[in-house]
Amino acid sequence: MYEIWLTLNIVWEIALGIWPLLLAGAVLWLALLGTAWRQDGQHWRANILPALVIGAAVAVVAALLLPGSIGSTLSDMGYWVDWGMLLALAAAVGGVAVAFAWPLLSWRHGRARA
Amino acid sequence: MTAIPLGNHKHLETNMKKPTAFPPIDPARRRWLQAMAAAPLVAGATTPGLAKAAVKTRARIVIAGSGLGGIAVANRLSQLLDGAKITIIDRKEEHNYQPGYTLVATGVWPVDKVRDRNADYQPAGIEWVKDMVASFDAVANTVTTASGQRIEYDFLVVATGVHLDFAQIAGMDVAAIGREGLTSVYPSPEAAQATWAAMQAFTAQGGQAVMTLPATPLKCAGAPLKMSFMLRDRLFRAGTLDASKIRFQSALGNVFGVKVVNDNVLERWQTLGIDVEFSRALKAIDIGARRATFSSPEGETQEMPYDLIHVVPPTRAPDAVKNSELAWKEGPFAAGGWLEVDKSTLQHRRFPNVFGIGDINGTPRGKTAATVKKSAPLVAHNLVEVIAGRQANEAFDGYTSCPLITREGSAMLIEFDYEGRLTPSLPMIEPLQDSFFAWLMKVRMLKPAYMAVLKGRV
Repeated sequence: MYEIWLTLNIVWEIALGIWPLLLAGAVLWLALLGTAWRQDGQHWRANILPALVIGAAVAVVAALLLPGSIGSTLSDMGYWVDWGMLLALAAAVGGVAVAFAWPLLSWRHGRARA
Repeated sequence: MTAIPLGNHKHLETNMKKPTAFPPIDPARRRWLQAMAAAPLVAGATTPGLAKAAVKTRARIVIAGSGLGGIAVANRLSQLLDGAKITIIDRKEEHNYQPGYTLVATGVWPVDKVRDRNADYQPAGIEWVKDMVASFDAVANTVTTASGQRIEYDFLVVATGVHLDFAQIAGMDVAAIGREGLTSVYPSPEAAQATWAAMQAFTAQGGQAVMTLPATPLKCAGAPLKMSFMLRDRLFRAGTLDASKIRFQSALGNVFGVKVVNDNVLERWQTLGIDVEFSRALKAIDIGARRATFSSPEGETQEMPYDLIHVVPPTRAPDAVKNSELAWKEGPFAAGGWLEVDKSTLQHRRFPNVFGIGDINGTPRGKTAATVKKSAPLVAHNLVEVIAGRQANEAFDGYTSCPLITREGSAMLIEFDYEGRLTPSLPMIEPLQDSFFAWLMKVRMLKPAYMAVLKGRV
């Protein structure tokens, strides 16, 4: 329980340090959602797979780049905990990519069909 | 914030008399404080869902020091108490994230990442006396500042930190750090920054580096080891390792107080080519000539030339504690003048209205930020219990943590208790494993954790 609360506080403090970036990202995402919301449901369903593919590709790139971004390397992955942490972080970055790609692709798909 | 004017205490509504016997405060006032504290207690909870009503009290609480421990306890007490008068005494306006000094000194972080302002983290409603504590009178329950101000208290939290005793090293000049190969990560952000500059100059050419370790307790006992590991890594990356020699001079019979970690580090250093000599205490330094003098317990001296030296100063309690009744009078912590607290409750062993937090405590281990992280909630809780007329009832196990950097990009996450047992917080953590995760924690997660502790949330 303590570790969970500690982790939440760490995430909160990190977010406080980058709040302008987070705010801009949230506004952009909401704008994307708002623009794409009007699209027909079939456009959303048709683009979930492409969005996931984009997310997976971004996750792979993130996994390769994240260690270097903090002064580490893939050769510094000492054991499974390190790999697990790296993959979890990469998956989170990929998840953000999916969150942006899906409405964006759905909106573009709808415009193309219109 | 204005300080309490000397001699003018009418607004404090006290009829405190000079105590003559234990308990130290006036019995009538003590009963009144206990009655006010009979309201439901707030648990020393670290999760928000367990918030309870704050304890009503008019107690005057003085916190000596505004480092991590002082401010963390102040924030917690502000949440746990309703009506208490909390006074922080410290001249320092800058708040330094000291665990980041080794990252600054080895070129991983810029110096501004370790500099903040105390004013940004102190709780609202407290009184900040911008002065240093000159003396403690635990019998009279007063603190006297350097400017002569006398401040009375009902309860005291000693959070002064340590005194870096560079004066024990003849010829040492803190202002010269960064010049002539002289380095030290301990004194300040500026010293850490100057240490990095000196390290860069050294690694560009190579030479002989001498790393030191004194025989006293240290804050962040891992720092001298981290500096040695990182220096070796910087030399390797600069391509001057073959032209260099690193010699670690320990004044003790080991390099780290936890045997399994000590043995692991020595094994690594043997592989990395870092020579170690024991029972070698740094006694003097000739900065211009770049010569250091070490002495052995037998009194033999040895001069050693260097191109770069990392000076780790002996540490002791600040004079205000060391020269007071609050210091240990006998035993292993007496020589350093450390605060005489019960190692479990962190309550003073002879003055029960006094608690200690952080590096000042005379306990077997624990001069790290991680120790404060685990002990600040306990100190605040135990103090509130005592304010309420009860006994301190939470026990501290001496938790200490040291992310021991082994090279840029990797570290070991060492956690242990008073007994020197490794106590990883998460079951999957391998303490002696070179780890990206431990490095990630050190460079990206520990400062946010520190800030949460500072604000009294963790």
